[in-house]
Amino acid sequence: MIELYHVWKQYQKPLWALSDVNLSVTRGEFCFITGPSGSGKSTLLKAIYREVIPTEGQIIISGINIQRIPDHKICAIRRQMGIVFQDFRLLFHKRVFDNVSIALRVLGAPPRDMKRKTFIALRMVNLQQRLWDYPSQLSYGEQQRVAIARAIVNNPRILLADEPTGNLDPDLAHEIFGLFRVINKQGTTVIICTHDKELIRRFGGRVLYLHEGKLHEKDVG
Amino acid sequence: MNSLWQFKIRHVFSLTIICLSFVIVGVFLSMSNNLRFRARELSKNLRVVFYLHKDLTASERGLIDDEIRHSPLVDSVRAVGPEEASEKFIEDFPELKDILLNLNINPFPPSIEASLKDPGLPTEKIIQFIAEVKKNSGVEDVQFNREWAEKIRSLGRLTEAIGFFLGGILVLASFFIVSNVIKLNVLARKSEIEILRLVGATNTFIRIPFLLEGVILGVAGSCLSLFVVFFLIKLFPLYLGSSLGALQEIVGFRYLTQTQVLALIFGGGCVGFLGSLSSLARFLRM
Repeated sequence: MIELYHVWKQYQKPLWALSDVNLSVTRGEFCFITGPSGSGKSTLLKAIYREVIPTEGQIIISGINIQRIPDHKICAIRRQMGIVFQDFRLLFHKRVFDNVSIALRVLGAPPRDMKRKTFIALRMVNLQQRLWDYPSQLSYGEQQRVAIARAIVNNPRILLADEPTGNLDPDLAHEIFGLFRVINKQGTTVIICTHDKELIRRFGGRVLYLHEGKLHEKDVG
Repeated sequence: MNSLWQFKIRHVFSLTIICLSFVIVGVFLSMSNNLRFRARELSKNLRVVFYLHKDLTASERGLIDDEIRHSPLVDSVRAVGPEEASEKFIEDFPELKDILLNLNINPFPPSIEASLKDPGLPTEKIIQFIAEVKKNSGVEDVQFNREWAEKIRSLGRLTEAIGFFLGGILVLASFFIVSNVIKLNVLARKSEIEILRLVGATNTFIRIPFLLEGVILGVAGSCLSLFVVFFLIKLFPLYLGSSLGALQEIVGFRYLTQTQVLALIFGGGCVGFLGSLSSLARFLRM
């Protein structure tokens, strides 16, 4: 599903954000990427959704080498992915419904379909009652759940989450990770970047450790 | 479309500039239309006026009259005496009546007005005919209205060119203003654009709302300018009154033709579209 071969990324000399990263994530896998701040976790995720282009190496997503496809075709790759950020990245002047349905709007989904799928996604994160509220009327935990609903509304094959619980208290973080588990059980490949070791230990799964741009498989037990 | 309302001040500003630019183009176009119309009217009634020496005898006048009358180009001939010429002048330019009366003499020479048969006659043929008649020593001067028509037509073309030049500069300014307004809109919606890109929106999907905004601004601005030009055409004669007399016929406005109206609206749309496109090309690289 996701394969990285000898991926290197340098923003400025002499530091390497990613250093010869090799990774293979299979379909339906639940995977954590952990490591200290500045270790390259976000860069690795950004490389997967091609927000950054590696200095060297190849990244294959669903059999497509995303380094070789032209810029205007990246949208097709991103439509297979859902992305969740630490800072939620919600549109505060738009209602919850619009924030979630935006991912369907870009696909040109018919309004009826859009409403149905948005409602299903919000029900999954237990926010179906807040459909017409603005994000500013929601708590942090609820805002992150809206962001998750947006990420899953078009049934992506891959869900990427970059420090999704960084701004949340432990109980909320636990709830959010529980949601990721549910989404994963439905067949979505989930990759979560986090440095919350306690949660990793509690939820288990494959753990990859990044340190100074180098990736190691880690056994968290 | 929400952003048109959301950032209304900057949109009103750019709308005003677009409108003013097209008002300039529209005003000069309408003046040029008027001049061309006058030239056309003048050409329709094709005639040559031969001014004769004052001291010509009746028989000498008769000879010239005969020569003109027998030309195959001439349809009819009318002799105009100095008194008739003076009366016609007072009728056409009543405000200059006093000056004429104060002269104490009649400055107008007798003349022969020759109406030509075919308005489509080539100018060279008519000039050749005039030259033939002019050989006669009794003919002092000749006035050929096609020359006037040509002059007025040239003035019309010049007015149009000035309009396009001045308007063009302003249209170019509005192009940059639209471009900058759209750039500000892109900046204001940076987070939305980023999210759209992350959820897989195509470049076209992201750009279309901005392009539409530009086109709406351009078309609205040019439509508004058409209203302004319309009211100027209505109000300008009221403002001038009859102070310019016969000159008012020349310094006047005429409504824009349907093609010109459509061209101005289309031009507005293009300014908006291209302004927006240039901003997106520079500022929204994907």
